[in-house]
Amino acid sequence: MTGQGRGFDWAAFGRGFRVMVPLWAGVVPFAVAYAVTARTNGLSVWETCLMSVTVFAGASQFAAAGQFVAGGVAGVASALALVGTTFVLNARHVLYGLSLSRQLPLSRLQRAVAAQFLTDEAYGMVLVAGPRDPGGLSLGFLLGAELSLFAAWNAATLLGALAGAALPDPDALGVGVIFPLAFLGLLVPLLLGRVAVLVALASGLGAWGLGQLLPGGLVVLLVGVGGALLGALISTRAGGRA
Amino acid sequence: MSGWLVILLMWAVTYPARLLGLSLGRLELPPFWLAFLRFVPVSVFAALIVPDVLGSPEWARRLIGAVVGGALLWRTRNLALGILGGFAAYWAARLLGL
Repeated sequence: MTGQGRGFDWAAFGRGFRVMVPLWAGVVPFAVAYAVTARTNGLSVWETCLMSVTVFAGASQFAAAGQFVAGGVAGVASALALVGTTFVLNARHVLYGLSLSRQLPLSRLQRAVAAQFLTDEAYGMVLVAGPRDPGGLSLGFLLGAELSLFAAWNAATLLGALAGAALPDPDALGVGVIFPLAFLGLLVPLLLGRVAVLVALASGLGAWGLGQLLPGGLVVLLVGVGGALLGALISTRAGGRA
Repeated sequence: MSGWLVILLMWAVTYPARLLGLSLGRLELPPFWLAFLRFVPVSVFAALIVPDVLGSPEWARRLIGAVVGGALLWRTRNLALGILGGFAAYWAARLLGL
């Protein structure tokens, strides 16, 4: 808790910001692809950017962008369906917040700010790299990591919205493999013990199976809950009987 | 319905989920739920990785990238090295026509 009462810890913010930079290679092409899709479906430059600033959730932005026609959504029913899908896709953030807040107590105002910029990537990195930071898991480190991704995501959205058609296709660069590699880098240090390995295997294969039937964000939510329940069941049983 | 209105509604259903989780940190939880939260990242990361690798049309190359990247990460615990090594292996597989 260094720096508490003496203002914001900018050094920790800088370290959090930098720790996310390797992930930009995956974020930038994704944001550009989202922006190109949104512009193709008739959203204005400012609407395309507004979604990245406010919603700030890659998968649901990408899913939504595909459903716009001529700059809007056809009818109230389709609009509500789109908003409902967004809710389901992003409900997994409840788990991230719960998990983070166990280890990092925040004031009401700090929570209100930190919540806006929470993502899969920032959650993962802060959880794994935060405790190893010199100041420990801190508000500065969390906000640095969150805003690093926010800055890259929004700069790339603007770039894609303005210059989309002139840019190379992200598939041609093969950058789609960066995201799973980044998450693998977060998962591997957590695989301590047999229960964790079992939970990872069951969750990964379960998500692959469910992914054939359901949208990705919902799969992550369901499997996230199911896998953690499995781990809790096995470990508290073993602990209780030992 | 106009674009900006739909975007604001999307925001209105996303932000509360983020805030809710962060606001529940001071709950007193029994050991079972503490263990549950410990396993959340493990299952979430696995659920983000596997469909992105095996569910991709180019799954064979991605699998090679993930295996090489995972092995490097296991040995070195260096995130940048794991990502770069895995990406290089992916490209090697791709250039070899896999």
